[in-house]
Amino acid sequence: MTPILVTPIEEEKLLRILWDDDQLSDYPFAYLRGWCPCAVCQGHGGERHFIAVENPQLVGVGLVGNYALNPRWNDGHETGIYTFEYLRDLSNRRESQGENPVKG
Amino acid sequence: MISEQDIRDQLKRIPYPGSSRDILTLGLVGEILTQDGTVIVHLRPSSATEEVLQHLTGRITSALSAVPGVQKVTIHAGRPRGAAAQSAPIATPAPTPLPGVRRVIAVASGKGGVGKSTVAVNLALALKALDNRVGLLDADVYGPSVPLMMGTEALPRAGQDKKIYPVEKYGISLISMGFFLDDQSPVIWRGPIVMSIIRQFLRDVLWGELDYLIVDLPPGTGDAALTLAQEVPLSGGVIVSTPQDVALLDVQRGIAMFRQVNVPILGVIENMSYYVCPHCGEREEIFGHGGVQKTGLEILGEVPIVEEIRTGGDVGKPLVVQHPEHPMAAVFRQIALRVMETDTGAVRRAQR
Repeated sequence: MTPILVTPIEEEKLLRILWDDDQLSDYPFAYLRGWCPCAVCQGHGGERHFIAVENPQLVGVGLVGNYALNPRWNDGHETGIYTFEYLRDLSNRRESQGENPVKG
Repeated sequence: MISEQDIRDQLKRIPYPGSSRDILTLGLVGEILTQDGTVIVHLRPSSATEEVLQHLTGRITSALSAVPGVQKVTIHAGRPRGAAAQSAPIATPAPTPLPGVRRVIAVASGKGGVGKSTVAVNLALALKALDNRVGLLDADVYGPSVPLMMGTEALPRAGQDKKIYPVEKYGISLISMGFFLDDQSPVIWRGPIVMSIIRQFLRDVLWGELDYLIVDLPPGTGDAALTLAQEVPLSGGVIVSTPQDVALLDVQRGIAMFRQVNVPILGVIENMSYYVCPHCGEREEIFGHGGVQKTGLEILGEVPIVEEIRTGGDVGKPLVVQHPEHPMAAVFRQIALRVMETDTGAVRRAQR
């Protein structure tokens, strides 16, 4: 699964991703940031938790190799490497499970 | 009066290249301004490439010119100016490929001692023999063996802006940590240093125009491999293994690494596959047989234990250049052809 187009929509405070199977996923900034998978946010091992950050602002997003996105936030946080697989998972879980912890 | 609804209706009919979704749905269209006969459409900064944006600009201009009352269409694509420029999130398009380098192929193994560098060197030279422009990046910073195998200890020349020229040998471009170390000095480095070396080898070496950059990774799944996978879009990975099951266990890790970073695995090269006794001509499968088949991956080639391959590496004249008529050189060329077949661009060039 690979993104074809990644567009931050500032007015709606969300990141929109078009995938190569034509799925469209929206990630509100707060949701995306809350689920940052990096070790600074999540520690090591165990379940992943939603770490709420107030009104995070996305300042950029880069591609990592062939496999992940790396968002940069206005508070300087930029250690999160979101694999495409993880992003798809986040998108699919968003309605059903929201902020429930997931297995790391 | 231009109707904004008319404009939106038109934009809704323009699909994004490679998708059935239209550019309005994708959120690509930002502000739309109309003034007298002029329409100004802002496209949000996104990961769309310059090429796609140009294509879309053409489509939008012709679609909107057909709207009643429209005399002029202006499209602002990319980064906004002024105050907005600071706050607007920018999505970087595709990971920056190396300029001029068409394909980057990593040669990896789960463990050391399987002859990975020997294979990488001969594969690079076989690709060269098939009329490709080839570079070889020795990413094994701890135990660089490419200089010895290629028979050169030249010091890379410095270029402008802290760039360096690769060393040329047998028609291919080389870079290796071995060029910067004397034989005695051990390399005792932590991860971050290794990462920065790999980055410099990729970005600060003047590779020029290459069809293939072969990267000889250090054994295992460590910093060098991960950095490479993060820094450049890898076109493919080749895994080298010996046939026995123990090595295979490590191969699984190598396979898992490439899968995790979404790099297509071109196949496995079985090295030290068998030994043909020079006296009686009998084939001995010293390390067993059939291990690599169990991975389910394509076997790009089987390279037996042949003295000329080993001595070629030791004296700095790899088999493919020293004995191009040797049956094993043909095996390496066969592997190179398989690698080229996975590349549509190469096939196209070959047909021309």
